[in-house]
Amino acid sequence: MATLEVKDLHVEVKDDEQNKTQEILKGVNLTMKTGEIHAIMGPNGTGKSTLSQTIMGQPAYHVTQGDILLNGESILKMPVDERARKGLFLGMQYPAEIQGVTNAEFLRAAMNSRRADDDQISVMAFLKELDKNLELLDMSESMTERYLNEGFSGGEKKRNEILQLLMIKPTFALLDEIDSGLDIDALKVVSKGVNSMRGDNFGSLIITHYQRLLNYIVPDVVHVMMGGRIVKTGKADLAKTLEKEGYAGLRDELGLDVELVDEN
Amino acid sequence: MEAVQDYTALKSELAAAANDHGEPKWVVDQRLAAVDNLADAALPEVNRFDIHRWPLTPAEPLTFSQSNGDLAANVPVAADHIQIVQVGQTTVTVNLPAELADQGVILTDIFTAFREHPDLTQPHFMTEIIKTNEDRLTSFHAAFLNSGIFLYVPKGVVIDQPIELHLVQDSTQEKHPLISHVLIVAEADSHFAVMQHLTTQGDCANLASCMVEVLARSNSEVHFSSFDELGPNTTTYLNRRANISRDATVDWAIGLMNDGDTFGDFDSELIGENSKSDAKVITLTGGRQRVGVNTRVTNRGKKSTGNILQRGVIMEKSKLIFNGIGHIIHGAAGANAEQENRVLMMSSKAHGDANPILLIDENDVLAGHAASVGQVDAKQMYYLMSRGITKAQAKRLVIRGFLSAVLQAIPAKDVRQNLTDTIERKLENGAEIE
Repeated sequence: MATLEVKDLHVEVKDDEQNKTQEILKGVNLTMKTGEIHAIMGPNGTGKSTLSQTIMGQPAYHVTQGDILLNGESILKMPVDERARKGLFLGMQYPAEIQGVTNAEFLRAAMNSRRADDDQISVMAFLKELDKNLELLDMSESMTERYLNEGFSGGEKKRNEILQLLMIKPTFALLDEIDSGLDIDALKVVSKGVNSMRGDNFGSLIITHYQRLLNYIVPDVVHVMMGGRIVKTGKADLAKTLEKEGYAGLRDELGLDVELVDEN
Repeated sequence: MEAVQDYTALKSELAAAANDHGEPKWVVDQRLAAVDNLADAALPEVNRFDIHRWPLTPAEPLTFSQSNGDLAANVPVAADHIQIVQVGQTTVTVNLPAELADQGVILTDIFTAFREHPDLTQPHFMTEIIKTNEDRLTSFHAAFLNSGIFLYVPKGVVIDQPIELHLVQDSTQEKHPLISHVLIVAEADSHFAVMQHLTTQGDCANLASCMVEVLARSNSEVHFSSFDELGPNTTTYLNRRANISRDATVDWAIGLMNDGDTFGDFDSELIGENSKSDAKVITLTGGRQRVGVNTRVTNRGKKSTGNILQRGVIMEKSKLIFNGIGHIIHGAAGANAEQENRVLMMSSKAHGDANPILLIDENDVLAGHAASVGQVDAKQMYYLMSRGITKAQAKRLVIRGFLSAVLQAIPAKDVRQNLTDTIERKLENGAEIE
């Protein structure tokens, strides 16, 4: 069993335009284990993406206090690629487009980066795995020879993130708003992909605005984040309550002094 | 480098050598006229790049000699390819399928063509596309020409397979400049692709002055790609130019991977109505190498379309200047000219510049440009590394992507792979200077 622990995490980012730093995370605590699916819900601008990017090691986010431990080992000093090889994966909201590098070539490079030089995946084994996952995600084989995310629609990009998840098989997957911009059919496909990973050797942290996704990927634990902290943790039904009452309702119930970005 | 002083003696020497070589009188006369131009011709203008001290016009006499054919050992010769292989001044292989020869296709060394096909060569050789008297470098080239290829594709002939032109510079010998001229005549409605590959054998410091002239008659289509990998001790002058007639297309995909100092001048003259050209140039510079490129598209014909895309990666202490010159002549109504010039800096000690130069003398046109000099895209790096790919490999992938425009335009898979391998090798060899 693997664990991912976030302890009293404080994170700030520098706004280059205004040349000032802003604290986004103000003491996040979270522990997850493989075999569990956690969901983080919360209003816009509350630090959900910041949390996932910081765990992955995006250089723009600066940890000022606290720690992130993977199996008890601090990963704060590790570069992004090392964290990934240790088992972390971030399904991104806005994946980069890279011309001239095919999806297939990229996937192989990513898989091989975890393997020893004398144990690189064979072409046959790779293609077999790829075909299986393409079918699961209802993706065309032509996607693999296209350049990485280049000219992909929003939905194609999301599917491609999940394809990478299935190919790389990380220990912990952070999935940042993989439901945004998806129609209901695509949402089902993406959920099917994530659900196929469920098991004792996989844990996931799913970030979403809406409860809808959680109808398809039923979480074991739901956290609500507001104002840079996790303010409430519960079971799957917490998401349904939120859907009914809204974030403002929860905030008032908890007596929090947090301003919601979209509140008028 | 040395100024040529005694023009009378030079001319008689040159004439003697050319006559010994069995050249027709018109060729010899053209050489001598070029020497007359040399006297006061200036070097071509290269914006923000200085070639004045380069050894581009060495004072070596015109000589003809055989090169060792074994120097072409690395050239993949295959009977089922359409190809010509030259080592220095020596033609080693010509593979032209009989059915193409029967249709009138000519693929031969240029001196044979001068003798056997004066009707096809004399009107076009350095008279209307690149002109002998344009500047010091064109005059020098015409005067001291010592190697070359002639390709003629008759009206309506369509060739599916790319035509390979392999030139191996013989730098096993001192004072042995390669002054090579490729003349391509594409008659109306013809359609073909040409791949040029330039390499060097030997370590002697020599000049390579390599020109390509393309005459693309109406409704013809010529796709020219090159893989230039001349050696570190070669100073290179490249001049590739096409005159493009009505409804004709000439595309350039130039992989400039020379290891030595290089000045490149690539030019599309969109003369006919609805003519088209797409010029793509990529390069990767390292060491103390200096590379200057003028890529020019001139829209003369109505509704002509010209695009320029230049991308370069600069490493170590090298210098790269990309000038993109878009010139729309008055009367070229409905013309379209776009250009993009980008330089990626891998070293703070390297110097790069991307200059779009737009000269527009017509109102009814569409023209646009983009230029940048910058670092590797941090977002792309983060994305690749977030999948476990190491920083070094991520960088190579991003750079390869950056340079992929030309890779995609090369018609043969093995050449694409070779060019990719060369890029990877150069990236690995290029020491990083932050």
